[in-house]
Amino acid sequence: MSTFIKDFIEREKMSRRNFLFASAAGLTSAAVVGPWSATTAHAGSHGGWSMAWSYRDRASAYWNAIVSGGEAYVESLGMSASDMTNLINEGSSEKSLADIKAFLAKNGGKGAIACDANDSPNARPVVEAVREAGGYISTIWNKTDDLHPWDIGDNYVAHLSWSGEKPSEDAARLLFDKMGGKGGVVHIGGIPANIPAIERLNGLKKALNDYPDVELLDVQSADWDTTKAAEVMSSLMTRYGDDIKGVHCANDNMAYGVIEALKAEGITDMPITAFDGNPEAVDLVMKGDLLATVFTNPHWGGGIALALAHQAAIGAFKPSEEPNAHREFYGPSILVTPDDAAEFKATYLESTPTYDWSDRWGLSAGQIQY
Amino acid sequence: MPIIVLLVLVVFFTSINSNFFSLRNFARIAIAASPFLMVAVGVTFIILMGSIDLSMEGAVSLTAVTFCFCFLFFGGTLASGGWIAIGAALLAGALYGALNGFIHAKLMIPSFMSSLAMGFVGIGATVLLTGGGIVRIDDDIFRSLLTYRLQGFPLMVYVAGFFLVVGILIQKFTILGRNLYAIGGAEDLAAASGVPVKRTRILAFSLAGFYYALAGILQVAKLGQAESVTGANLMFLSITAAVVGGVALWGAIGGVFNALIGVLIVAVINNGMVVIGLPDYLQDGVLGLLVIVAVILSTNRSSIRFVK
Repeated sequence: MSTFIKDFIEREKMSRRNFLFASAAGLTSAAVVGPWSATTAHAGSHGGWSMAWSYRDRASAYWNAIVSGGEAYVESLGMSASDMTNLINEGSSEKSLADIKAFLAKNGGKGAIACDANDSPNARPVVEAVREAGGYISTIWNKTDDLHPWDIGDNYVAHLSWSGEKPSEDAARLLFDKMGGKGGVVHIGGIPANIPAIERLNGLKKALNDYPDVELLDVQSADWDTTKAAEVMSSLMTRYGDDIKGVHCANDNMAYGVIEALKAEGITDMPITAFDGNPEAVDLVMKGDLLATVFTNPHWGGGIALALAHQAAIGAFKPSEEPNAHREFYGPSILVTPDDAAEFKATYLESTPTYDWSDRWGLSAGQIQY
Repeated sequence: MPIIVLLVLVVFFTSINSNFFSLRNFARIAIAASPFLMVAVGVTFIILMGSIDLSMEGAVSLTAVTFCFCFLFFGGTLASGGWIAIGAALLAGALYGALNGFIHAKLMIPSFMSSLAMGFVGIGATVLLTGGGIVRIDDDIFRSLLTYRLQGFPLMVYVAGFFLVVGILIQKFTILGRNLYAIGGAEDLAAASGVPVKRTRILAFSLAGFYYALAGILQVAKLGQAESVTGANLMFLSITAAVVGGVALWGAIGGVFNALIGVLIVAVINNGMVVIGLPDYLQDGVLGLLVIVAVILSTNRSSIRFVK
């Protein structure tokens, strides 16, 4: 609990600082540089470039891991984590843009930034502002499909995203193999309109093409929720009974509900796959209650996004000389199965691996497809 | 009338998929309905007074997490002393309800606002306790509430049934129960006749909190875990269930038994929609429409003069 409160206070401090940045954005750049130059002269000035991560907030385990990756990169340069500026947009696209402009103005344009632009339309004004100021930026998750780093130039270094489709397909293949390549399967999905929910269902459908004897009996939404998933699963047992030979869930939380609903029926050997790679799910994989879950390595994603922007800024590589697959790429995903769950837990959950940030695309899962 | 609505629904779903009418499916509906019934019984006491309680989601999450932490603290099994956690969670629920009632009655804040705010406080406290994580209980004896069956139904269904009967007895045979109707019918007259209105209100909210804690414990029995969203969706479902069952929001009409029928109606609709194969994107809309139809059919509107 104490770390929670500490984190909270830390976040609040950052928000206040960003509020000052945001209000400063309306002033001239000269006025902005003045008051802060004394306190931030040392901050993140490796190679003369200051570094920042712009994101919503740090409250979830996922975003905490993203930002810790950025901090790990900064530390790998021999600086301290606090040398990376946290630009917290609190879910506001306007604040996201204003913070970035203020950060660049303060550093005379010499800023290397990693950013989730909060919503897709905001990515274009953000990267254009960075280009005008002469800074460098990588984005993750949010951008419109018609915006590409190679159209903007070297200042827009790269975009990183994750596809739910391929890992979900891999999990489905594992599930079908475990079912012996035949029988009925049900999909417990997220909120139907959510992009990850759509992608994860599409992954399952793709895998089905190669397994003619596996039948998708039903797709039911459980809104990412454990309780609802338990109820939906038990209702599906009434409808399909023993025809259900496997369950494909769109996230870990719903899989917990499915496991409990089946436990109530005395069924403990049903193969079930999940998604997210949460610690509890990994434990369930180790116990054999869950066949697999998918981990997307947010720590590496957060680190490499900042590393690419900074390395382009200091001239370690020239983005326009790289192929498109290095400018827009998917982050990695790891299928956690009973065979490797213990090793996975030791490597990724109980400790954090040290990455070689100069291996820029080593974990890339290929160019983004539209 | 509400019972007829329930029977019509059962016949309707059975006619489309005969699997619906089976002991195994009734057990599944009962498992889903057990925690939910405890919340509906709790809020019925409040609705009878003509007030409303919107704190149940926070109360259920908080008591479920309290239960899990206590359970783990006392050894993590029922045999090692985990039973103390049951008392601790029920006490926490009652105290939470008492505070809710105190803020409403003594500080003179409308129950809608005070209870909604207390609900947020409960969820906030749960996030603080868990740090946003999940607390798991892995004790086979405790989980036998879900896994051990008598006559086809898990033990937790009998626990819920027992406290349902307790609720009916409180409503019918205690002074508190009669006072709820007196306040809901005409608060001024009740006060003039010597009913201790404020004390009754605080007691009623404490009783509701006790029932929310029961729901929290049954939720853990059902899912083996607690987190800040353990109580999610219960606010809409429980108030809907009470109203569908014939407990009128203007107070003093209906009772705990109506809440039971309402819970069964909502649980049957939720289960039946999946069992007959209704696509998931239609289910929310159909649930809403069926609720309106059920309220029209099940409320005795001849006994009221106006609706606010």
